[in-house]
Amino acid sequence: MAAANCWRCLGRPSTQRLLAPSSIPSFKNPTSVAAFTTSATFLAKDDNQERPIEAPGPGERKAFRKRIQLSNDNALKVSGLSELEAQQLVDPTAVGQMASLPTGLVDQLRTIEAFKPTQNWGLFRSPHMLVRKDTVDFLGDMTKRIANKETVRTVIEGERGVGKSMLGLQTMAAGFMNKMVVINIPEAQDLVEARTDYSYIPRTTPEQFSHPSYILKLLQALRSANEEVLSKEIIKLEHIHLPGNLSRNASLATLANVTKEPEFAWPVFNALWQELLQPGRPPIMFTLDGLSHIMRISDYRSPSFNLIHAHDFALTRLFVEALGGKTHFPNGAAIVGVMTKGNWLKDKSVEKALEQARAAQAELPIPERDAYYSKYDERVFEALKGVEVFDVKSISKLEARSLMEYWAASGVLRMRVDEKTVSERWTLAGNGVLGELERVSLYVSRL
Amino acid sequence: MASKLSPWGACRSLTIRTRSILQHAERKATAAPFHMARRGMADNTTSREPPSGSDGALPPSMAGKASAEQPHTSPRPEQFAPNWLNAEAIARLEQVAAGEDMYDNEEGLKFGVLSQLPGKHDHLQKRYPEVLDQVTKLLMRDGKLSKAQRDMAFILNFLRTSSAPKVSPLRPLLPGAPPAHTLPLDPVAYLTLAIDSVAPLLRIRSMKGMAGGGQALEIPEPMAARQRRRVAVQWILDAVNKKKSKGSGRSMFAHKMAEEIIAVIEGRSSVWDRRQTVHKLGTAARANLNHPALLAKRK
Repeated sequence: MAAANCWRCLGRPSTQRLLAPSSIPSFKNPTSVAAFTTSATFLAKDDNQERPIEAPGPGERKAFRKRIQLSNDNALKVSGLSELEAQQLVDPTAVGQMASLPTGLVDQLRTIEAFKPTQNWGLFRSPHMLVRKDTVDFLGDMTKRIANKETVRTVIEGERGVGKSMLGLQTMAAGFMNKMVVINIPEAQDLVEARTDYSYIPRTTPEQFSHPSYILKLLQALRSANEEVLSKEIIKLEHIHLPGNLSRNASLATLANVTKEPEFAWPVFNALWQELLQPGRPPIMFTLDGLSHIMRISDYRSPSFNLIHAHDFALTRLFVEALGGKTHFPNGAAIVGVMTKGNWLKDKSVEKALEQARAAQAELPIPERDAYYSKYDERVFEALKGVEVFDVKSISKLEARSLMEYWAASGVLRMRVDEKTVSERWTLAGNGVLGELERVSLYVSRL
Repeated sequence: MASKLSPWGACRSLTIRTRSILQHAERKATAAPFHMARRGMADNTTSREPPSGSDGALPPSMAGKASAEQPHTSPRPEQFAPNWLNAEAIARLEQVAAGEDMYDNEEGLKFGVLSQLPGKHDHLQKRYPEVLDQVTKLLMRDGKLSKAQRDMAFILNFLRTSSAPKVSPLRPLLPGAPPAHTLPLDPVAYLTLAIDSVAPLLRIRSMKGMAGGGQALEIPEPMAARQRRRVAVQWILDAVNKKKSKGSGRSMFAHKMAEEIIAVIEGRSSVWDRRQTVHKLGTAARANLNHPALLAKRK
């Protein structure tokens, strides 16, 4: 439908215009301008009848909210940065370098849900990460001890937005690159907030519960991310109670894949865990994000209508026993709990337990519990007994510069990156709190 | 307070640096001592083409190992950094050496006369670009500015991550608009372009009873830039409210709004029709400008 008016101005097509139509790209053929239009009647149709607005389908909203985008085709490609290697994560001279994540590793990390929707992966062409001092400190020590078949039990702590989950991701990346079996619980609050189904595990005293669907999903993610390692290991124990028939020389990957039924998810997961604890297996890395969520009484109820403690769920119990040092790992293991500050219910037991763990680590006198507070949770102290606390700190200006140069090279940060601007942003970001640095640099409007 | 007669005040402002600093080199000694500082992140609405080889050269600190020490670029250490503060101080000292008073030219002023006085409504810094500020406040409901800002951040992010728009030749954008493929990397320019392109040039004012017989006389009136943008945003919001719900929670509205902005740029939006209607009406109502009733009123 041709317009009687010009789109940009109020001029009307004159004969002169019609003879020289080159300035109006749409009017290639002057005869296509209709002598009359029906647009007036078209526009005059009854607009009062508004169509009812359809609601989105079930699950559509959550999927939209939780989607993870790892690339942005609009951002410029930053070439010349090396691919991440295992050595780079433990090398003190690599501090401040940006490295791209290899495709295979990205797939593995994505499968176990190491990337979070709140992180800014979607702004850049491909996933890159900064090797920071904390990374090298934490992973260097951890890798050395796991090589000696020790068990590393750590809680990652730090201010809000300082990069705790990101360090967790780097830990998992190191785990994959060092051929460990990586198990990850991406959001601990999913296990306690009564969002997923649960069931009683028969013949357990005190009674224990499992999350059938959640564990099945976890099992499948774990199998597909660790396929390379698991398929090389042959089962050693008898698993007659499991469904299906496992042959004698079936691999652990087959064992993990033996059921698609939620009701058998926990027995299979437990069998896999027992297999991994046999001597001669690859080391285990078990990480959990949002540790403080499982240090409380959950929102689930038992058949007698009592609230269930989070540690009475089989999966959290497995993690908590490993973290508290009750499980013996003959092949070395890294049990890492990442605290969260974004949605944290303050809990005095967790705070005190971590305070005591910090003091023990620094070989200082252990601070005593508040004698006037009666609601300390003994199971929390049990779970955090003897853990190491790793405090994630702010980044230095050098690291900030490296990061900002990467942002600028990607075309996302549109400003000069020099000593002055780096220093300015670093200061604005609370002296190098990484999440705040992203907020002040990548977003024009307040987020 | 430093005494005006002593040269030490000028000496104090001399800074000694063993190596030159890059950011000072570009400042001319003749630069005005005060100029409106503008915030880099807010004023950058100009869109540039990305560098021709879009793989881009690597920034210097990324190329090698990031080490704390950078080699000195200048062969010999300079005594004074070549910045405008030092240049001014040296000029003052020379003035004193020539036997004049240090503050001869500026009677009674400690820091001299400003070359350009800031106006009444000038800000030293503006937090947000002008369009962003206006649009954010138009998105606001129930006085919840913070929520509107979060929505705006989401909109800009959405524009930045969605694929480059395909501009329709039937709905030309503002003349001189940057090429479409550069828009996503500059979301503020993207938003500004969409709003400015679809904004009507005029409004129709109804003069009650002036046409005679109780009929209103319709007169086209030009609008200021800010008014035009306001009308455009209202139209876009009307279109957004008719859309199907997307996502949930806090990003639902922003997602719809961002999609509408893209639809405007691509010429798919119904807002263009509203603009056309107003313009048609305006063209027809031009005849009324010479209406006797109006001419009589002007006298």
